[in-house]
Amino acid sequence: MKSLPLRAPFAPKKKKHGWQASIAALFALLAVAASAYAFLYLKHDPSLTDLRGRLLGASALHPLGTDHLGRDVLTRLLLGGVQTIGYSLLALGAALIIGIPFGLLAGYKRGWVDKLFMRIADGFLAFPDTIVAIVLSGLLGAGIGNLVLAIVIVKWVSYARLVRSTVLSESQKDYIRIARTNGLSDIRIMTKHLLPHIAGHVLVLVSLDLGKIILLISSLSYIGLGAQPPTPEWGTMLNDSRPYFQSRPELMVYPGLAIVSVVLLANMLGDYLRDRFDVKKEVQP
Amino acid sequence: MILSIEELSIAGRDRTIVDSVSLAVREGEFMALVGQSGSGKSLLSQAVGRLLPPNLHASGRILFEGSDLLERGPREMRALRGSRISYIFQDYQGAFTPFRSIGGHFDEYQKVHGETSKFVRRAKAAEALESVGLDAALLRRYPFQLSGGQLQRAAIATALLLSPRLLIADEATTALDSVSAHRVLELLARKQAETGCAILFITHDWRHVRRYANRLSVMQEGRIVESGGKHRILDHPQHEYTRKLIEAAPVLGRSLKSGLEEERP
Repeated sequence: MKSLPLRAPFAPKKKKHGWQASIAALFALLAVAASAYAFLYLKHDPSLTDLRGRLLGASALHPLGTDHLGRDVLTRLLLGGVQTIGYSLLALGAALIIGIPFGLLAGYKRGWVDKLFMRIADGFLAFPDTIVAIVLSGLLGAGIGNLVLAIVIVKWVSYARLVRSTVLSESQKDYIRIARTNGLSDIRIMTKHLLPHIAGHVLVLVSLDLGKIILLISSLSYIGLGAQPPTPEWGTMLNDSRPYFQSRPELMVYPGLAIVSVVLLANMLGDYLRDRFDVKKEVQP
Repeated sequence: MILSIEELSIAGRDRTIVDSVSLAVREGEFMALVGQSGSGKSLLSQAVGRLLPPNLHASGRILFEGSDLLERGPREMRALRGSRISYIFQDYQGAFTPFRSIGGHFDEYQKVHGETSKFVRRAKAAEALESVGLDAALLRRYPFQLSGGQLQRAAIATALLLSPRLLIADEATTALDSVSAHRVLELLARKQAETGCAILFITHDWRHVRRYANRLSVMQEGRIVESGGKHRILDHPQHEYTRKLIEAAPVLGRSLKSGLEEERP
């Protein structure tokens, strides 16, 4: 018996979006460095107001100046990033926790389970995200928690559908049939033999969705449905600085730039991952 | 009688696909079920393991070792599948989950069937692989690192791992060329001689099974039209359909039209 080499055969990868990944990594590094700087050296309280020092220009103590209540802009910007990205990830995580088991079950069980689940999903799909967010804020009151809830309600469906379509095609294959004929339970087949298969696809969709959700949270916070002042959040910061646009336009430029760059970063990461995992059909950005 | 199917019908919502079929497999025999594509033989084999798609319903009786499988609960069926009844299929390339190692499969099947000692599991897996002529080092590999022939043998090794009493081979040689098909049949026949398990061999081409089968059943459009010993069927077919099937696969240069040696009492 001739033994084959244990190494996986090496095929050179197409590096289509490689430069985007590098830029994304560089930017992430920059953001981490800036956060570290803010935490270690500046030590400003993001909600400490100082009306004598309002609307100051850049200085060593306040690298990006102060806002209309004398709060340090850089600190608020960085902590706002933590807020925005944190809540986006929270919403995504919740959407995954609902969407993945839903899709797995529907795709694996087929039959009436599938039909029922997918009709429910269609029902949820009928509502655009902004409408749901506005209605929920109207019913439950404005706040970041309700906004996250609205996003979860809208977003879980796309994950359930993605997972279902992958599982539908995958569970037709012989290895799933053989796993069943060898006496494995449905739960074991779903978690051990199907779940790892969809991980790549889900990861790509997550990174593509991340940008959209950040944008959604920021824009709804801007119109006052999301994070409430004095929470440092980019959309709220934009809204707060609106009256001072004539005298201090950079107060709006900073959070705006932050939103644009993070969304861009998330999208570049998504493009890179999509090529890396070679996902074409199922994931539509 | 290890498996005895009595009056089994399989029906979808608006039509009956398998119509009151009765079939018996004796202990340790090589039984071939022959019929053209779409005659319902694969569904019949899936019904034995209770693996039918949810939109199909089976009625009748499937007696395995004396008890009716159609009355068993899902948990009992799971315990039975893989340990007492196992399957091999046509597609060897896709027989293993691509991102799990070959050894992982062997380990998992033994684990779900109650083998708790990791050491025993590993030893048994190595033994199973070696018994089909493969190196135990292959356990660490992933499916894509094995050749087609190795995958095929490994798949047979997993099916025979827990020494089942009944092995159902559903079109197991269909995708193979003649030489490989005979190699697989040779291996199955050898393993059968060693373990004494019964084999239900499903195929649409009986050139492959001529030499190995003890008995044959011929299936047409959901019914069994003829069953019996292979000499009886191949040399003295009673049913028109059987006759046509035999004529469709002529053999050269032997004394009987079946291509078998003359039977000497």
